[in-house]
Amino acid sequence: MSNWELFTWISVIILGPGAIFVFILFLRDLPELLRKTDKKIS
Amino acid sequence: MQTIATIDYIIITVYILGMVGVGIWFARRHATFDDFFLAGRSLTTPLLITTLISTYYGIDVLFGDSQLGFTDGVVAWFGYARPTYAFFVIAAFLLAHRLRKENFKSLPDILEKYYGRETRYVGAVASFIYSLPALSLYGFGMLGEVIMGWSPYLGMLILGGIALAYTLAGGFWAVALTDSIQFVMMCVVLAIATPFALKLIGGFDQMYIFLDPNYFEPMGDLSIWLIIIYASTGLTILVEPTFYQRIFAAKSYKNVRNALIAGIFIWGAYDWIITILAMAAKVGTLKGIIDPGVEPDAALLTIMITALPAGILGIFLAGVLSTEMSTLDSYCLVAGGNVAYDVYRPMAKKEISDTQLITTTRYGIALSWVLGFVMALAFEQMLGLWVFMASILISSVTVPIIFGLYIKNFRKPMAGLLSAGLGLLSTIILNVLVMSRGVFVGEEETYVLQLGQWEIMQEYIMYFTVPISLLGYFFGLLIDKGKNYE
Repeated sequence: MSNWELFTWISVIILGPGAIFVFILFLRDLPELLRKTDKKIS
Repeated sequence: MQTIATIDYIIITVYILGMVGVGIWFARRHATFDDFFLAGRSLTTPLLITTLISTYYGIDVLFGDSQLGFTDGVVAWFGYARPTYAFFVIAAFLLAHRLRKENFKSLPDILEKYYGRETRYVGAVASFIYSLPALSLYGFGMLGEVIMGWSPYLGMLILGGIALAYTLAGGFWAVALTDSIQFVMMCVVLAIATPFALKLIGGFDQMYIFLDPNYFEPMGDLSIWLIIIYASTGLTILVEPTFYQRIFAAKSYKNVRNALIAGIFIWGAYDWIITILAMAAKVGTLKGIIDPGVEPDAALLTIMITALPAGILGIFLAGVLSTEMSTLDSYCLVAGGNVAYDVYRPMAKKEISDTQLITTTRYGIALSWVLGFVMALAFEQMLGLWVFMASILISSVTVPIIFGLYIKNFRKPMAGLLSAGLGLLSTIILNVLVMSRGVFVGEEETYVLQLGQWEIMQEYIMYFTVPISLLGYFFGLLIDKGKNYE
């Protein structure tokens, strides 16, 4: 496997599982963020 | 070529309805302008990562980078994309830290604080022009044509209109939350698409066989001057209005710094995959798998439509729409803020309520959309449009913003005004001159103006306008004998 190809598969891992991991962290914060918008309109 | 199946259209429709739903849900959840424009300054690190990446990377990157990857190879990553990451590092450790020390809401706020109201207005105009969603609408025209078989005008109207609708309704909360969904879509679809594209062309090794060795030269055979100009468009991050908006909207500086550091890896991976997919598309044309006459900026989309199976293609196309909607909504919001908060509010003689400010921002969002539409029609290709808009911003506000933030003794009103004003004017004049007096050279994908022995490409305009802005700044320092601003 060439360096170019290796770089490509590392990039695929960052974009696939990496992005999903960030999204899960975002979902963890989401209830708190939504509570803030609820407070503002109440 | 494979056609788009019903299941793909269903996926795209569900995605679009979801985005509009988020906008409607947030439509009445703004008590103040801070809520509408900065999401109450409460963005956490994961939300910042998702909104920064999805906003800053639009279809111009997806198809602009891929255009260069298709025609020149890995230089698209090494020469065009990579220098940007250095600017992200500077932004993470120096700029964001400095900006969070003040209570700014927008980029023109900074100009007013250090140079006075006149410079604020010039900065607001530059930021407004830069934020016009012309690139996004241009991209929607192309997407509508490829995905739905619509004319470019119809694609711009319908797809761009949907992003406009939820931005008008939901403000920054809607933008940030839809950005998160769009972020995961745009990244994951590229990860999924890569093995399919490589399989289509017969594997990675086929690239070595079919492509010219120059495709694997990190600096390719592009002229060094062009590489410098492409790389310097990365400077925009230092004065990027949507980037500034996210710094101001973050919970703390640490959130911004961590988001940018994580983001650099994701941006790098994203750029690389686009480059590789574009090179795969080139191999596809050489092997006759895809149309050899395909336009370079449509090559990526074409190979994906050919390579991906039904269902996965729908997710990919929804991801491409995500890439662009997340960019259009953010820039429209900033442009609307330029109209309402940066120009209308300080010009009004009476106190403006938050409700009035939000309403005027919505008018500004709609105005920016219409002007962006007109501009998208005026340009023949995407890279030139991007260089034009980046040069407007860089040439007008980089010098006064950076000097103003870091050198107290330089905060003279005349310096800021001359630098921003001359930078803006010279960029507009030179662009109009090159486009009206020059000729469009298809091979170079740009306008070229012949002046005696010299050939001036549209991309080279910043070589003149940034020094003009710098000279204006120092001339202003010399003639302004008044006191420094704070």
